[in-house]
Amino acid sequence: MEINGLNVLLFKTNIRTESDKQFMTQLMQQNKISQWTVDQEDVDCVLRIVSNELQLNEVITLVIQHGYHCEELT
Amino acid sequence: MNIHLYLKVNPKTMRIRDVNKVELVKEKAIELLVELGIEGFTMAKLAKSCRISVATLYIYYKDKDDLILQIGLEETKRLSKLMLEGFDLGFSFADGLRHQWEHRAKCMLENPMSCKMIEQLRTSSYQEKIFESMMTTFKKSLGVFMKNAVINGEIDEMPMETYWSVAFGPLYSLVRFHNEGQSIGGRPFVLTDEILWTTFNLVLKAFKK
Repeated sequence: MEINGLNVLLFKTNIRTESDKQFMTQLMQQNKISQWTVDQEDVDCVLRIVSNELQLNEVITLVIQHGYHCEELT
Repeated sequence: MNIHLYLKVNPKTMRIRDVNKVELVKEKAIELLVELGIEGFTMAKLAKSCRISVATLYIYYKDKDDLILQIGLEETKRLSKLMLEGFDLGFSFADGLRHQWEHRAKCMLENPMSCKMIEQLRTSSYQEKIFESMMTTFKKSLGVFMKNAVINGEIDEMPMETYWSVAFGPLYSLVRFHNEGQSIGGRPFVLTDEILWTTFNLVLKAFKK
């Protein structure tokens, strides 16, 4: 999905705790993903990434590889 | 609510972005924030109320915090602008106060939901972020207006809080009675022009030296 010419990728995850988020911060840094947020107040812990380079599947694979749940939010 | 149909077609994806949807989200968000309070408000409830998917909400807003902050800022800016529209620092004290009564009453009566939401945000953790810019705007215009009135000998010098309470307290009470449809002891109440301006004249009399 797109806003202001940028792609917004949305995922349902279980990035629930503060330590999950810290881990994700490292993971995103390592993969040079800068524009990301996770809504930990939401039941789906929605991961939101703004990027024109990344594909949905790339993110899902990356997050799942590290033991988290991640699927496209529809 | 903006009812103009404005469709923006993105050439890259040909996805149609309906600006009305953004307006609908804003309107429903304000209603839900008033109804459920900040704690009870969730993105899922908002999506359900708008009959859109949660994903659509997340395209425009990062999370609940971001949504409340953005909508809160937009609404306070919009209402502040309405209240100060046509206000001139060159007004005499009576004219300036009359302008403010007219514009504030109109603004509050026409936007009851937004006013309730802003009132909620005022007593929340969003207070600082949302009201900082608004206070600067008001200080510049209305603060200077009060000081000018003192310098010109139109009113006595007094603490800002005293001025504010006397100048606008009665107006806010009348609008509250009107919005609740009743006044003290459950008496039915509708704010008329006559009541508004009779009260205004009493306020003006209180300030007269």
